[in-house]
Amino acid sequence: MGRKKKKASKPWCWYCNREFDDEKILIQHQKAKHFKCHICHKKLYTGPGLSIHCMQVHKEAIDKVPNSLPNRSNIEIEIYGMEGIPPEDIKEHEKQKTGGGKASDSEDDEPAAKKKATPALLGAGPSTVTQGILPTPMAPVPPGMYPGHAMPMNHMMPPFMQAPRMMMPGMRPLFPAASVPTSTPSKPTFPAYSNATISAPPTTSTASASEPKENGDVRPPAANTCPLVTATGAGSKIVHPPEDVSLEEIRARHAKYRPKPKPDAPPAIPTSVSAMISASTSQAEVAAHMNAAVAAARQQAAMRRPVMQQMVGMLPQLQQLQQLPQLQQLQQLPQLPQPVRVGVGVPVSMPPVMLPVMPQFNIMRPIQPGVLLPGGGVMPMGMFPGGMHGLLQPRYR
Amino acid sequence: MFNQLGGGTNNPNKDVEVTSPPDDTVSSLEFSPPSVPQTFLVAGSWDCRVRCWEVEASGKTVPKAAQGMDGPILDVAWHDDGTKVFMASTDKSVKCWDLAANQCMQVAAHDAPVKACHWVKAPNYNCLMTASWDKTLKFWDTRSAVPVMTMNLSERCYCADVDYPMAVVGTADRGICLYTLEGKPAEFKRVESPLKYQHRCIAIFRDKKTMQPTGFALGSVEGRVAIQYVNPANPKDNFTFKCHRAGGSTTGSFQDIYAVNDIAFHPVHGTLATVGSDGSFSFWDKDARTKLKSSETLDQPLTKCAFNHSGQVFAYAVGYDWSKGHEHYNPAKKNYIFLRPCFDDLKPRTT
Repeated sequence: MGRKKKKASKPWCWYCNREFDDEKILIQHQKAKHFKCHICHKKLYTGPGLSIHCMQVHKEAIDKVPNSLPNRSNIEIEIYGMEGIPPEDIKEHEKQKTGGGKASDSEDDEPAAKKKATPALLGAGPSTVTQGILPTPMAPVPPGMYPGHAMPMNHMMPPFMQAPRMMMPGMRPLFPAASVPTSTPSKPTFPAYSNATISAPPTTSTASASEPKENGDVRPPAANTCPLVTATGAGSKIVHPPEDVSLEEIRARHAKYRPKPKPDAPPAIPTSVSAMISASTSQAEVAAHMNAAVAAARQQAAMRRPVMQQMVGMLPQLQQLQQLPQLQQLQQLPQLPQPVRVGVGVPVSMPPVMLPVMPQFNIMRPIQPGVLLPGGGVMPMGMFPGGMHGLLQPRYR
Repeated sequence: MFNQLGGGTNNPNKDVEVTSPPDDTVSSLEFSPPSVPQTFLVAGSWDCRVRCWEVEASGKTVPKAAQGMDGPILDVAWHDDGTKVFMASTDKSVKCWDLAANQCMQVAAHDAPVKACHWVKAPNYNCLMTASWDKTLKFWDTRSAVPVMTMNLSERCYCADVDYPMAVVGTADRGICLYTLEGKPAEFKRVESPLKYQHRCIAIFRDKKTMQPTGFALGSVEGRVAIQYVNPANPKDNFTFKCHRAGGSTTGSFQDIYAVNDIAFHPVHGTLATVGSDGSFSFWDKDARTKLKSSETLDQPLTKCAFNHSGQVFAYAVGYDWSKGHEHYNPAKKNYIFLRPCFDDLKPRTT
């Protein structure tokens, strides 16, 4: 090259002092020599980016920039091409250049040969990053997507977009899950919001996509109306029941954890009881009936005690009680004949302690006094002694 | 010591197993405060009982006592003098368990299961704060059956934390409400949630220099934690990070996203631990914004975690959290509580 036009700002690499014709080439050089991970050979964009990548992905700490001069190996300084070079070092370099003469120029000839036609770094960034979430890197994400919920995000977006690279100087990037090997050291809120907002509403194919993005509203599903599961199409799934209700609430609805009305005495009925009950009703129905019955039972507890002995004998006759709505009917029971086909083994003759082994029951049918378990599953009646509420204790699937 | 030989799938992290664990999932786990010289651990469980163990320096755990309530326990809290434990249950009440006398007494009641209970120790008063699915927050002088203060919440309480003089409650509508406890409890402000999914757990952290509560960490069901300062010097101080996700070599592809079940801050280092439905725990440094450690994954979710007051011991509970519905519930599966020394693991990253 005849023209030794020494541009005052001929790009040079801060880490190793080499000079380059073009900043693009300088950047390629930096990526390949200084910002390349020695473990997986991934090329990062900056020193801190490399450091974070190694920490997160390989769990290895790096303390100096590879292939760098001893006084320029600080990994924390963020250099990108010619940007980020501390002013003192710039002056020092200029001095060296004028002092050292042009001799140093001729030593730098490598990058000219390997000219990868890399597109603007910005474009290259996202593709290598494989974030998969943002189709256009910092492209103007439709502001409508972040209505009220991401206001803080909005402030950040503009500065972010101006920066030619993924990381703002001085920003320590977020740490994605360890299993994600990509080093997407984007700004803290960035992946968070981008992931969440894009994947949040079940908009893709679910019919219940009640909050489509077109509304400009990215509210997550309203409670109890929409599934929680994301439908990003990328296949990520939230491991949670579809209802947007807390796990504890869902669990507490389960029969096993529902409140048990206090028995008057410890239960004593053997498990044979369960054989008598025919299964089939849904839990909800049973639960509903039980609740109603409990209420009725509680009111009538006192009344029932004297009746209990006779009630036990009534069991087989309960068929006829189907229409009897309330407990009051039970008091007529004493008139019915006695064959105790209970098979319950309840010591019927024990007045006070009739308390059934509630826990043994598989109550599939409502045990309302008067409502009969089809097939004659009547042992419940035998439980009356202590009071109807006794019956309703066990709720099992 | 009770280490299983070689760890195994039940204990891949080779931690110390607590003896006589509860029969059902642990819903709450707390170490005793510094006011008592020994270290006690109490755990409330879905088996309707609260158990207490003494944890010896060697790691040996000795079951000491247990108390029951009429419904599954949802939260436990220690009185600051270390002699009493409060237990909140789905039976809509909160009881005070006097450990010395081994007696219980009801101290609070709500119209729906009580999700959270915390003891407030202020210079000029003491009280018990309870939050329930009945959408109220109540403060109780334990000697009276009537709350000294009742506040309405926007929705059911899903999580809460207290660190005098700050209290925070996370609710079902992704609401967050901050309270100041100075003088008397009062609502401080409502904050917009930094997370887009159901709130699951919350923990207050302190400023490293002033040691005053200055913000909170909030976990959601979408494998994400938000670090939020009450008064950030810079809005960029608030951030969120993803955690407890499995699979997917590229972000978003076939990834299973698990709920963050609990968050706890180390009392000395200020770093935090999270436990998730994926069956693992992780340690994080929120100031360096990095992960300190990820544990091996267990075959059941981790539901709760706790640090003892000196920050030497980390406890975590393992048991089914209902994240896959009742179909995956196996009552025969054993529940565990593990302990591990953690002081060094949680040292902040010196960047």
